[in-house]
Amino acid sequence: MIVTWRIGIRIAVIVVVTIVLQISFFSYLSFFGTTPNVIPLIVVSLGLLGGGMVGAVCGFASGLLLDSALLQTLGVSSLVLLSAGYLAGRYREGAEISNSLIPLLLAGALTTGAAAGFAAIQLMLGVRTPVSLLVLREIFVQGLLAVVLMIPIYPLIRWALRPAIVDDVAFRSARTPITAGASRPRRVRGRRMRRATGVSRP
Amino acid sequence: MYRKQVRRRRAILVLLIIAALVLLSTQFSEREGGPLHSMQRVVASVFGPMEEGATRALKPARDLVNWFDETFKARGTNSDLTAEVQQLRNELAKTQAAEGENQQLRKLLGLDKQGTLAGYTPVTARVIARSPTVWYSTVTIDKGSGDGVKMNDPVVTGDGLAGRITDVTHGTAEVTLITDDRSAVSARVLPNGPEGVAEPEVGDPSDLLLDFIDKSQPIHKGQILVTAGWSNGVISSAFPPGIPIGQVSETTAGQQQSYQRVHVTPFADIRGLDFVQVATGGPKRPGVPG
Repeated sequence: MIVTWRIGIRIAVIVVVTIVLQISFFSYLSFFGTTPNVIPLIVVSLGLLGGGMVGAVCGFASGLLLDSALLQTLGVSSLVLLSAGYLAGRYREGAEISNSLIPLLLAGALTTGAAAGFAAIQLMLGVRTPVSLLVLREIFVQGLLAVVLMIPIYPLIRWALRPAIVDDVAFRSARTPITAGASRPRRVRGRRMRRATGVSRP
Repeated sequence: MYRKQVRRRRAILVLLIIAALVLLSTQFSEREGGPLHSMQRVVASVFGPMEEGATRALKPARDLVNWFDETFKARGTNSDLTAEVQQLRNELAKTQAAEGENQQLRKLLGLDKQGTLAGYTPVTARVIARSPTVWYSTVTIDKGSGDGVKMNDPVVTGDGLAGRITDVTHGTAEVTLITDDRSAVSARVLPNGPEGVAEPEVGDPSDLLLDFIDKSQPIHKGQILVTAGWSNGVISSAFPPGIPIGQVSETTAGQQQSYQRVHVTPFADIRGLDFVQVATGGPKRPGVPG
């Protein structure tokens, strides 16, 4: 992903809108006794589309805004979300997303990891009351919900950032010096050959 | 060139991690009015109107989604409830006889809702934001210091105690609910049961614990828990006495133990809060900053 000023502003809008939606809509919903959390999904999506640095910076910023908006302990969400975003980005940089299931499974795994990380930090900071085993259910169900919610969220983020995505289909179809020869060799060569040799289309 | 890029990326990543850790440790040790808390309040004030607008606009959608979830749950609990109705019919006969006596006792104890919060000015507020994790059982309301809301003001719903105010900006306030791990409410079991401290169990918003209650004092399922309003003249509970908290759902005690653990189901629907009432301007309670 090529991050220009315009794309940066789009990403910032996505992050702010997601946080407002999370704390005033998704946090009120309950599925199997658990609240869905879409913030890790947005961070993972941005990491998958933009790479490790974009994922980490967006994760840190979303965590900071979330903790500030809810007057929670600053830094906890930032630390957890920056790790999720960075890991998603590193996966994108190191491996090809060849299957459409990969973003969903990755979102599920990283959301579970983020929820577990959040719990671990809270326990390290000290919890004054007993902790119910239902916390484990919460972590597990949040991971499952993440897989389901990622189905619409990932394409939506991809659509919102399509001008910046280098390997996007629409971008590929444009005849740019980067992709013209590589992605559509036969058709381009055929046309050029025909034009060069003056042979008309059969 | 490539190496330089890698080094820069690593530096940014390390910087972000350090920044998060510094924020965490600084805020943890910082006093209430410190710079990080002030910055947080500014951000919360900026987000406040956005949260309020989004909460109002998205309420129908939220209700629709929750309706599906509740319908799903209702089907599952239907058979359980049928059996319970049978049992409750038998209990009703006994309860009706005790009702008259109970009414008198409630009045004597000041449990009547109007009487409990006498001297306070109730401010009705809308819940505009809530935390997505079980580790912070807090909500943000659309009333703040501009409406007379102060730190430690009790917050109630139509059903019972919800929590208390733990942070205030001009237009919003943070309510720490009774299910948050930072919450502890001095409570009394009615009609003449023992007093103790009702604490939550993190991760289970439908359960409060009244621990270390002497086993010799019998407590039964269905008994009501109210705020004790404890005070020794120097320090006191933030809550006035007599606000209903919940109903005893179970008591457990090991054979070797001399105390029992009382599980209480809160009256207030902590996960479904839409409107709450903040009891403002009440009598000064000694030792409670406000």
